[in-house]
Amino acid sequence: MQPFTLNYARPAGQLDVTAPYAYDSALQLNVLPDGRIAATDHAILLTLGTTTSTAGSKTHFDD
Amino acid sequence: MTVLILTSDEDVTADMVVLRLGEAGVPVVRFDPADLTNGVALTGEYAGDDCGGHLSVGGRLVGMSGLRSIWVRRPGDAAARAAQPSPWLTQESAQALYGMLRCSDARWMNHPDAAPRARHKPWQLRLAQRSGLPVPATLITTFPDTAREFAERHRDVVVKPVSGAHPQEPPRAVPTSRVAPGTDFSAVAFGPTLLQQRVAKRADIRLTAVGDRLLAARKPVDPDAHPDHVDVRFAPSVSPWLPAEVPPRVAVSVRRYLKAAELAYGAFDFAEDADGTWWFLECNQSGQFGFVELDTGQPIAETIAHWLAGDDRPVEPYTHDKRDAVP
Repeated sequence: MQPFTLNYARPAGQLDVTAPYAYDSALQLNVLPDGRIAATDHAILLTLGTTTSTAGSKTHFDD
Repeated sequence: MTVLILTSDEDVTADMVVLRLGEAGVPVVRFDPADLTNGVALTGEYAGDDCGGHLSVGGRLVGMSGLRSIWVRRPGDAAARAAQPSPWLTQESAQALYGMLRCSDARWMNHPDAAPRARHKPWQLRLAQRSGLPVPATLITTFPDTAREFAERHRDVVVKPVSGAHPQEPPRAVPTSRVAPGTDFSAVAFGPTLLQQRVAKRADIRLTAVGDRLLAARKPVDPDAHPDHVDVRFAPSVSPWLPAEVPPRVAVSVRRYLKAAELAYGAFDFAEDADGTWWFLECNQSGQFGFVELDTGQPIAETIAHWLAGDDRPVEPYTHDKRDAVP
């Protein structure tokens, strides 16, 4: 009884990766443990895939 | 005048825009509607022929009349993190928040009336046709025989979710996938199925539209790539995204699409075939853009910041290495 489309589903492994930054409500920005702004560290963003097209799909329709 | 950003705390892509707004000295209030009544408070009053109200977020106070724009990025469900969350409280909180925000004179990216409609892929395909964008032959059906006939007629088809959503419990991803010859279509009866003629592509195109500004990026396909690698999000990468020029006819059609959809922001996906034609695949009204900016250096975050700030004048003229550009 599984819909046809789900025959092509695969485990979503990377969606549960924990990001090494935390939201700072005073700055309204995410901050790395050393105090730097996460969004300025492009290497980390690319490594985590945080801003890539599959991120956020867990709760949102749009990629 | 303040820019209001509704998104989750962990949305580091939104951070890129918050940074640009901060550099420009534009006041920003950011919060996740999920935190309503748990760190976020609101009030609104209607008296005589006037109305007013304000939001309080982490010590920041902003009046409804002081909002210049509202960016609905990736908000959680209203009051989802309240002390005693419930579907009723979420409904109450969403009605209060978005109802009051609709009373402001702020510009929206994107308006809550336009956004849900724009998410419907069948509607997107029709609007793309009407806007003059080439659309691959597509079928959405629960009839197995119709699906089988479509696949036989078009010989090479892919399947993708109608909604773009990924199933949970357990979390799974559903990439756009090639349907093998001789596939059994009987399970089409158990859920709407979207089949589309596969475009033999030489590149993927992501066109990010911000207001009237169009920023396109191109990712070439490995000439030796297996034809089963359809979905750029899951295929092996042989090249970063590169800046691309938007063909004038495509630009006209994309602007026509945005106007009809009443969208201030849209992330368009195209497949470029061997003739250079851009085939419309979809338009995500809240599509990600960080990965494009990081690869191409295109000032997407800055362009969004300018739009939110109410300044539609072009940002610093964008130049890139013309050797990377696609005519």
